[in-house]
Amino acid sequence: MEKKLEVKGMVCPFPLIEAQQAIEELKSGDVLVVEFDCTQGTESIPTWAAEAGHTVTNFEQIDEAAWIISIQKK
Amino acid sequence: MIITGLLCGALLGFVMQRGRFCLTGGFRDMYIAKNNRIFYALLLAIAVQSVGVFLLIDFGVFEYSAGSLPILAVIIGSFIFGIGIILAGGCATGTWYRAGEGLIGSWIALAGYMLMSTIMKSGILAPFNQRAQETAVLPSNSIAETFGINHWVIIIPFVVIVGVILYKQLTKPKVVIPSLKPKRTGLAHILFEKRWNPFVTATLIGLIAFIAWPLSAATGRVFGLGITTPSANILQYLTTGDKGFLNWGVFLVLGIFAGSFFAAKASKEFRFRMPDVKTGINSFIGGNLMGIGASLAGGCSIGNGLVMTAMMTWQGWIGLVFMILGTWTASYFVFVRPRQKAKAAKLKEQISAV
Repeated sequence: MEKKLEVKGMVCPFPLIEAQQAIEELKSGDVLVVEFDCTQGTESIPTWAAEAGHTVTNFEQIDEAAWIISIQKK
Repeated sequence: MIITGLLCGALLGFVMQRGRFCLTGGFRDMYIAKNNRIFYALLLAIAVQSVGVFLLIDFGVFEYSAGSLPILAVIIGSFIFGIGIILAGGCATGTWYRAGEGLIGSWIALAGYMLMSTIMKSGILAPFNQRAQETAVLPSNSIAETFGINHWVIIIPFVVIVGVILYKQLTKPKVVIPSLKPKRTGLAHILFEKRWNPFVTATLIGLIAFIAWPLSAATGRVFGLGITTPSANILQYLTTGDKGFLNWGVFLVLGIFAGSFFAAKASKEFRFRMPDVKTGINSFIGGNLMGIGASLAGGCSIGNGLVMTAMMTWQGWIGLVFMILGTWTASYFVFVRPRQKAKAAKLKEQISAV
């Protein structure tokens, strides 16, 4: 299952907090797709995902100051 | 000569934007994520600057006296400042560089910060601030002076401690942090795309903070990086027309804005972003608290947290501790408690559903 989380307009650390909350509701193997535009999130979100043991399946910049990251729950 | 301020600021803005160097986030994460990485990076920047500046002082390039210590104003001011930066979503420098990224929320915070700093320094709250600065004053601000020892007796053990922390951090089993698919190559990739290691960023910031001293001293302003007074000076200059308010520091903060704008634009990370109403109001309140706090404490997370710490002063270190406590207090109310409440409410819902 894939869940989409749109947190554009939110400033850090809220995109990260929202992502952490959202992933709690998923099952192992499910993918959380986060769309965000907070620059600092490009550091904090992948770092958190890696350290928590989840797998980042996709991470790219989609527009000026806009990114998308897909995180598969461990 | 004042133009060197602009260059120094531009470098700082560039490095902070690309390195995503955020002290507010760093202090907050010590508490909510139990992650001390940015705090350690700050210690590294302090160490680099400290060694450099004290060497210059020992070689007689300039003289510096830390003066006396209004301890109560430093404690209360730093705590208020810590609360303010959580609400504003960035410290004083952070707000300047995020303004350069096009975040309107940071423009709002900056407006509140500049206004309140001016009110505290030369406006209706100046007498109150003056009295606070004269209350509970301890004679010596320099830690070395208090103990009657040479400053290197403090600096060298500090550098050793930072070295040990760094060694432990760098030899920790690494988790691979996923990075963006590279779309550029060579220097452009390193400067405008690649993720910077926080310790590399911190070393660069320490070097910039060090260079700031001789550059600023050459214009007659014997101090390093500073944000609050220069931010107030801009408003004072704009409203009085008195050129006396234009100094090295004013160009420094304008440089931060310009450097960050350039870095963000070149990395395709600039876009005007409007906050929602709640974030906008928090930014304004946060900015005002930052202005009050930094004026009382005699410095922000840069002036006290990075520079006065490197000068091995009580003001720097006490300020840093209370600033961090302020961010933790605000983090509890802004991030931790709402989450606990949401969890509890959800649990209740599930129980009642059963």
